[in-house]
Parts: sequence; C-alpha cells; structure tokens
Amino acid sequence: MFSQNGLSLDQAPPITVVFKFFFVGAMFGILSGISLFFYRVEIFDSSSVAAITFTHLLTLGVMLSFMFAALFQMLPVIAGVTLTSPQHKSNLLLYPFISGLITLLLGFNIPQYPWLFLLAAGLLVFSILSAILPMLSKLWSLEHHSPSSKGIGIALFSLSIIVLLALYLLATQSGTIDGIYYPQVKTAHYSFGLFGWIGLLIISISFQVIEMFYVTPPYPSSISKYLPFSLFLFLSISTFIGFFYPDIWNITHFLLALLLSFYAILTLKRLTQKKRPLSDATVWFWRIGLSSLVTSMFFMLLGEFTSFTFIKPLSYIFFASFALSIVFAMFYKIVPFLTWFHLNSQGYFTAPMMHEVIHPKTAKKHLYIHLATIVTFIVSLFVNTIIFISAILTILSFSWIAYQIIHANKLYKETQKNGEKFDMGNM
Amino acid sequence: MSLRKIGLDTRGLEHPEPLEMAIKILKNLDNETYLYMLHRKKPLPLIDLAKEHDFQVLGKEDTANEWHILISKNKTIDLNDFLDV
Repeated sequence: MFSQNGLSLDQAPPITVVFKFFFVGAMFGILSGISLFFYRVEIFDSSSVAAITFTHLLTLGVMLSFMFAALFQMLPVIAGVTLTSPQHKSNLLLYPFISGLITLLLGFNIPQYPWLFLLAAGLLVFSILSAILPMLSKLWSLEHHSPSSKGIGIALFSLSIIVLLALYLLATQSGTIDGIYYPQVKTAHYSFGLFGWIGLLIISISFQVIEMFYVTPPYPSSISKYLPFSLFLFLSISTFIGFFYPDIWNITHFLLALLLSFYAILTLKRLTQKKRPLSDATVWFWRIGLSSLVTSMFFMLLGEFTSFTFIKPLSYIFFASFALSIVFAMFYKIVPFLTWFHLNSQGYFTAPMMHEVIHPKTAKKHLYIHLATIVTFIVSLFVNTIIFISAILTILSFSWIAYQIIHANKLYKETQKNGEKFDMGNM
Repeated sequence: MSLRKIGLDTRGLEHPEPLEMAIKILKNLDNETYLYMLHRKKPLPLIDLAKEHDFQVLGKEDTANEWHILISKNKTIDLNDFLDV
C-alpha cells in the first residue's frame, strides 16, 4: 500500500491478525443468515427482538469485525500509526468481543436473564475500548494528519460514544438503572452507529483509497477536510439537544441524508473519472454500495413524511447494502495484497501472485451472489417466503468470504513451509 | 560511472500494480543497472522492502508532487547523479 505518511514492514501487522477478524466477521455473517430461518420477515419490524438481534449480528458481528480487520491493516498504511504488539491487542479484543456479542444476543432473546446484559456490557466495553483507545491515542499524537487519519480518528471517537451509550441502554435493560432517557439514548446510539461510525469510517477511508486504488482525481479538499467533522458535529449537537427536544433528530437525519447523498454522488462521479476504463469487481462493489447509500437516504427522508409500511425497511436494506458492499470491496483488495506483500517482504521467490490468492473472477461471482441477496431481501418485503432464499444467499455470501480467507491462509502457510527464498540484495 | 537505467512510469497505474512491477524489476537488478520509477505517491512499502534487502534507495518529490524513486544494488554510486528532477 502506498502512503505519504509511511509504512514500515515492521509496522505492518501479522497477517493472522487481519485474517482472524475477517474470518470472525464471516462467521457472524453466516450466523445472521441462519437466524433468518427463525426470525423471517420479523427483522423488518424495527422494534422486534428479531430486528435488534439481526441488526447487532450485522453491525457488531460482521461490520465491526471487518472494520477492525481493515483498521489493523490500514492504520499503519494510511495514517502512519504504529500499533505496538498488534497480536496481543487483537487477542485482547477478539475473544471477549466474541463472548460479549454472543451474550448480548442471548440477552435480547432470553429476557428472563437480565444479568446477561450486564455480562455483555462488561465484555463488550472492555474489548472494544481496549482496542480503540490505543488507536485513538496514537492518532491523537500524529504530527501530520491527512483527511483520512483525521476522519478515522473521529469515527473511532464516535465508536467510543456508541459504546458508552450502549452501556446506558444495557444497564436499563438489566434493571440496574431506571433509564428515564432510554428513548433518547437509543436514538443517539443507532444514529452514531450508522452515521458516526460506519458512514464516517467508510468516508474517511475512501478519501485515500478511491484515488489510490482507482487512479481518480482527488476529492475536493473542502470535502475531505470538513465533511467528517460536520457529520460528527451534527450528531453530537443532536444527542445533546435530543434530551430536551427529541424532534431535533428529524432535522439532523435530513441534513445527514443530504450530506451522505452528496458524498456518494461525488464518489460515483470520481469513479467515472478513473483512468482505466475496465472495472473489476471491487469497483462494482463500490458503485453498488454508493448507489445503495443514496437510495437508503432517499427512503429515510421519505420515511419522515409518509408512514407507508415498506419505506423504512427499504432504507435499512439499502443501508446494509451500502456498508456490506464497500466492506467486500475492501476485503477483495486487502486479502490478496497482504498475502502477496507479506510473502514478498519475507523474501519468498515463489510467493503466489495476487490473482492466485483470490482470482478476479471469484470476486465477480461473489458480486452476483451479493446482488442477488439484496434483491431477494427487497422482494421478501412483498413476498414474505422469499426471505428463506435471502437466508440461503446470506449464508452463501459469507461462506464465500470465509473460504477465501481459508484459501489465502493456506497459500500463505504453504509458501512459508515449502517456498523458495531469494535474497535480492545479495544475488 | 555509467549504469543502465530501467525506467518504470507507474503514474497512471492502479494500486498495487506499481509495487508488483517494481519488485519484479528489483529481483533482476545487478551492479550495472538501476531502477528509475515515477509514482503519484511516495511508495514507502517499496522503499522499505528495498532497504531491508540491502539496496540503495533515493526518493525525491518534484514540483508537480510526483515522486522519483531510484533504486540500485550497486552501493558505490551516488544516486543523486542520476536524478532527473
């Protein structure tokens, strides 16, 4: 990966750290598909246990795992941040995180055991904060910031706010506190989650990778400089005012929808300006993701003015499509590159080429599976039994990802075991 | 001292092709040749990798914010002499 800020091979995290997080994300993705057989279209009713469980499987289980994989890999690359002992830090995050999330999901589904929420809170708060606080501290002490490093810092700070808000919600659910501000905190929690964490992190990373991966003109500096902070500012102000005047969120969601749609259209335009006319699967994942973001924001705005049943679920489906499409795009860039680069840096002459780790046609096949998954989710709103096909496709989609990680890891280990080494400097 | 220049203009290439091409060239460099690479960004992983493998490396940004990267196996030469900025 190329950067103005710097990457040392010593700084790059062990490949197993990144692979582990991607694999855990894929496993939670498969679990989310399995859960659809039980919850069915109940997931579209935002107040149901089904919706809350499914949402947390996707946002915490899939998105957070994938984003941590990307962050462990990309922080040294795009922000010049060196994470000391990444193996240790990742273990400190991973196992309590998995246990915490499973406990949380059980808590949602077995309300007669409210202590599950307290246990989940302890495990999740400990694991997530122990991972993001060192990242934040390293980012804070950077001398030279790029728009990406600043944006990632704000996104991580938003994540710590989400965790604190979740703590209040879980304490209320467990009966530890009265939770008189429960509705306000809940709105702030999911708004920060969707816009301040997922949205902002993708936006910040895109400032660097769209230009770098696809040779496009850079973003206008006014956008890359001010958009992340503006999003964060709207969310923070609304959280504060929301305690006294909850309707503020209608205005905030309207403004956020406009800003995010503008960003998505601008990025789509950038992708039309890329130097190479041919587009691989990752470009299409970006295009699907950005178009989904615009569509999701459209339905979110429409939902403010009409109570038509399908509007809000459509907004949720397209937002999930936005986030997952871009995560998949990053996955297909990161995994082959990491495998190839780590082996080359270790001096293996027989290191597999990137297309041998994940062939572009393999990524394209996943693109079709992903597209079919989104379409079936939409159709299932109207023909409910189609949700079973969505379930199968979701399981297939994440199994596809899991297989690619196993395959890449196998190639990596095999090359390390049997590969022929070169010594470029002394040949 | 005259060395044969192996030019590599990667300014229009998508990541990670520049790195892939440069590493391929590095594997075949000898004492009579050097790599002269042009890139939109400073390719730090390449510089790092080359240094770790005991190459001599020079990177310079020009007025158009493009990077000129020179890499040689021969350590007796001054890469500044070959810089065209």
